[in-house]
Amino acid sequence: MQAPIDDLVRRAQAGEEAAFEALYRAHAGRIFALCLRLSGDRTRATELVQDVFVRCWERLRSFRGESAFGSWLYRLAVNLVWMANRGDRRREARVIPVEDPQVLERPGETSTAGLSVDLERAIGSLPDGAREVFVLFDIEGYHHEEIARMTGIAVGTSKAQLFRARRLLRGQLER
Amino acid sequence: MNERERDTELSPELQRAVGELPRSIEPPADLWPGIRDRIRHGKRDGGRGLRWWIPLALAAALVLAVGLRVTRHGNASWGVERTAGAPRVDGTPMGISGTLRVGGWVETDDSSQAVIAVGTIGHVDVRPGSRVGLVRARDTDHRLTLAYGAIHAKVDAPPRIFFVETPAGTAIDLGCEYTLETDRAGRGLIHVTGGYVEFAAHGTRSIVPLGAFAMTRPGQAPGIPYLEDAPAALREALESFDFERGGAGAVRRALATARAEDALSVWHLLTRVDPVLRPTVYDRLAALVPPPAGVTRAGAIAQDEAMLGQYWNLIRRIEFRRIILKGIREIDPRTGVAR
Repeated sequence: MQAPIDDLVRRAQAGEEAAFEALYRAHAGRIFALCLRLSGDRTRATELVQDVFVRCWERLRSFRGESAFGSWLYRLAVNLVWMANRGDRRREARVIPVEDPQVLERPGETSTAGLSVDLERAIGSLPDGAREVFVLFDIEGYHHEEIARMTGIAVGTSKAQLFRARRLLRGQLER
Repeated sequence: MNERERDTELSPELQRAVGELPRSIEPPADLWPGIRDRIRHGKRDGGRGLRWWIPLALAAALVLAVGLRVTRHGNASWGVERTAGAPRVDGTPMGISGTLRVGGWVETDDSSQAVIAVGTIGHVDVRPGSRVGLVRARDTDHRLTLAYGAIHAKVDAPPRIFFVETPAGTAIDLGCEYTLETDRAGRGLIHVTGGYVEFAAHGTRSIVPLGAFAMTRPGQAPGIPYLEDAPAALREALESFDFERGGAGAVRRALATARAEDALSVWHLLTRVDPVLRPTVYDRLAALVPPPAGVTRAGAIAQDEAMLGQYWNLIRRIEFRRIILKGIREIDPRTGVAR
């Protein structure tokens, strides 16, 4: 039976690697989903997940339990991915072509012939800034003020990117 | 009206589809060994270096500051708010708000309603004439019990950390929004309006997707789910099979009335019928929705779990496409391809 998260966090804070591995296994799927959608790139997402958990290990002693560990980790991940995307010039103008269906294919699910439109792929095809705000607002449920606080962009920018993302997404799905 | 509600450019269908996206996706490989090595050697990713770790440290501090303001999670109590009438908490009429502790109960009469905050992962509307108890309030196990009445739950969390027990079984959240009602004996109904819910009882489970219902009965396995617009004859046949010992006759009636859209019901039938009926059910399912590559007739009839899982993934994916493209494109319910 899995130990409660709080217990795992305490043990990991004390340096117990096995406890931290259990925390990784409990949260890897959620963090990977976030990294995948924010980065739009499966290979990049695996790198980011590793960065997130290494960063988490480094910062774990500062976690005092005022919020749920999962919330804390999630926000740490959002911030890390956002900063990484900003710091990586290669990704600034990147748009995933919709003809590349493998990019966001989920493991264990094969692409069915003829399924040319897929919401995940449509999201993945959005420009970086629009996709990031769409993922945080519409999928992850953050509000514009929270997005602005976490990422450093203006609330108005967040709203504009969301508007752009939704317009593009609608156009993509109506093709 | 809040900020999200005002921003209505996304169509309702697309909003529902977005809400149904999986919150968790398994990485393509086990990343732990790489993380472990980096932790042990204290290495950071040299490729990106300090140019982004420095602002990250500053930003992480900001994240922590924001995190401190988040509602506490994992406490042994949850908040309750009165939304109508005079709900009672542990027998005492509540004010505008109250606290529901583990072991405590919220009760509403015919004219009262309340909302329970499920930690920080969602909320549960307690409808009139209901009695709801808090069983556990842990990060990994948010658990209510619905003794009778009706609730509407909306949760945004990884699967399997929010549960509602009823006299007939347990509703297990797979990332979803749903309404659950039951009488004191456990005779009830679940209606899923977002994501998926698993209803488990007596070693049997029903996976109820967005837009589907499932019935519950005390002392019996959960009913086979069916779509909101399923033919009445199909619903009656399923009810007969599930709860009235309808047997082979009910199965044949269900198969005869099922449409391609009802593949989710037929898939559940395949996992429950007597072995002698499995070939008949499989053949009908394959006629409604051709099986994906890798699924064989013999394997599915033998209840090969991987094959049944593959088949289910195809069925739910087709249903997902029907929903997200509703009003935009007509989707063939047999294949998921736009017509």
